[in-house]
Amino acid sequence: MLIETRQLTKRYGAVTALEGCSLSVPQGEVLGLLGPNGAGKTTLLRILLGYIRPSAGSAVIGGLDCHRQSVAVRRRTAYLPGEVRLFGQMRGRDVLRFFAEVRPGGNLKRSHELAERLELQLAPRVAAMSTGMRQKLALAATLAVDAELMILDEPTSNLDPTVRRVIARIVEEIRRQGRTVLFSSHVLSEVEEVCDRVAFLRAGRLAHLQAMHDLKRRHRIRALLSGPMPPPPKELAGELVIGRDAAGAVVIETPGEVAPLLRWLATLPLTEMDVQPVGLRSLYDRIHDADAGQAAEGTRIP
Amino acid sequence: MNRALLMKSILEGRLLLASCMTTMLVFCWTRVWLVGHFDMSRFETVIEQFREWERFSPVPFEHLVTHTGRIAMAYEEPILILCVCLWVIARGTDCISGEIGRGTMEMLLAQPVSRVQVLWSQASVTIAGLALLALASWLGLYLGIQTNTVEEQVTQTWTIPWLRIEIANPLAAKEVVRRPLADKVNPAHLVPAAFNLFSLGFFLAGLSTLMSSWDRYRWRTIGLVVGIYIVQLTLKIVGLASDQLAWFRRVSFFTAYEPTRFVSTAVYHPESTWSILLRDEAGRWTAPGPLGYNLILLGMGAAAYLAATIIFHRRDVPAPL
Repeated sequence: MLIETRQLTKRYGAVTALEGCSLSVPQGEVLGLLGPNGAGKTTLLRILLGYIRPSAGSAVIGGLDCHRQSVAVRRRTAYLPGEVRLFGQMRGRDVLRFFAEVRPGGNLKRSHELAERLELQLAPRVAAMSTGMRQKLALAATLAVDAELMILDEPTSNLDPTVRRVIARIVEEIRRQGRTVLFSSHVLSEVEEVCDRVAFLRAGRLAHLQAMHDLKRRHRIRALLSGPMPPPPKELAGELVIGRDAAGAVVIETPGEVAPLLRWLATLPLTEMDVQPVGLRSLYDRIHDADAGQAAEGTRIP
Repeated sequence: MNRALLMKSILEGRLLLASCMTTMLVFCWTRVWLVGHFDMSRFETVIEQFREWERFSPVPFEHLVTHTGRIAMAYEEPILILCVCLWVIARGTDCISGEIGRGTMEMLLAQPVSRVQVLWSQASVTIAGLALLALASWLGLYLGIQTNTVEEQVTQTWTIPWLRIEIANPLAAKEVVRRPLADKVNPAHLVPAAFNLFSLGFFLAGLSTLMSSWDRYRWRTIGLVVGIYIVQLTLKIVGLASDQLAWFRRVSFFTAYEPTRFVSTAVYHPESTWSILLRDEAGRWTAPGPLGYNLILLGMGAAAYLAATIIFHRRDVPAPL
């Protein structure tokens, strides 16, 4: 495992920002971090980078303790903060030069290539750049690093859809190089697109871990019946989650093949039917709703 | 030390440093020029009327009316102290709480550099800049001394023919001549004052960095440092004004800032110019010497820098607001 956290906890007085977070990330994986604001995502990342010391538990990257050996950890890590602030008096090219020089083995050429790819002008001073330009500049500086682990906290915020696509492609390239990425974002479609696994954080706790290839196989069927709902056949009953939504429609979720379920549904008195992949959105909503105590029957994660 | 961090610190501070250096250089030269144009000996009787205020003067009035004394008073001028304070407080407070407040510490510490490196790359530039400021002040005085002249009344002489002997002629009107100031003032005597200015700046730089090391708002750090400065200055003034409260001086770091007195020591007791402790005639230690006072300031500054390093090394770095 490249990243290993055990019972990681961070408290600020009476406030618990992160509690008992145990997470393992293998080399070469792109792990998405999802959760509402204040869920503990940034706290987790900041502990990994040694910015803050954990109140309890431990965090290790590549066998190095994130707090005691934070410089060595950061030698193997590239980090893009959620809120990018750069040195206002420097020009774009000076910022790239600074970050290439401050890090042993920094790659200025690669930074310039990325800046070109992100269609970023390097002549203006940072103070005169728009928020999006600054984000691109920070991305060019961060993604140029040939680090074993990339920690990207909301890397596409303030970027237009075209650049977002470029970032997704770059993350894909990083994954193909066998490097590891921690990808924290609020844009579910992006996480769905680039991540191998997703960790859901809720109120400082790790609420759920979801492998994306499992999620992609999962479907949800919403159906309106003209008669009563019979029990499902024995061979399907074990894996289905059946419930009703607010409109009275039957909602069935299957974690695997959809064909046997459809064959059974064809025998029912259906008036309307809608088949959709479950997707990250519904999973996210469920976890978030569960937090708010609004979970409806049949919407629990099996 | 990380070269890129050093270059960044230099880039950030160069304009402020250049303007402070220029101001100090020009001000010091002008101060000497003014000394050359006013004959303070005419004010001796006026000064005598203010003898009871002598306690507020760092040196006896007799020294103040000398050319060296008047030039050394440049180091007591608010503009010179202001330039040094501006530089050290601006750079010292920017070091940690400034970077955190602006959010740039986040990107800095994402690099494989230690917090000690981040702090000391800033601190090195601050201290080097401070040394340049102290040098600029001395250089301004030196150039002033070398380029200015001073008016002097000379008693006319009468030469006895054949014998070629010159004797003073008290009956003749005194002749006014201008002489180079360099004949009257030795610039080397002003070095202790410049060093004392450096020591004061070093202490304030350490104090600013210490306040910055635990804070996240630069404006608050500046407020605290300026507050401490004002309280300390008030303590010294009150300590000078009242015999009952004379002990206030002992708790004010301004007591160790006595540039004019150190210049006076250099002129009248050159053997004590760089002494750590002063002795009385019986050879007993009586008080800290010029170097002793400077070492107090330098020691307190070094302690503040050390504390700042430890605090910054241990603290959590908060996320930008």
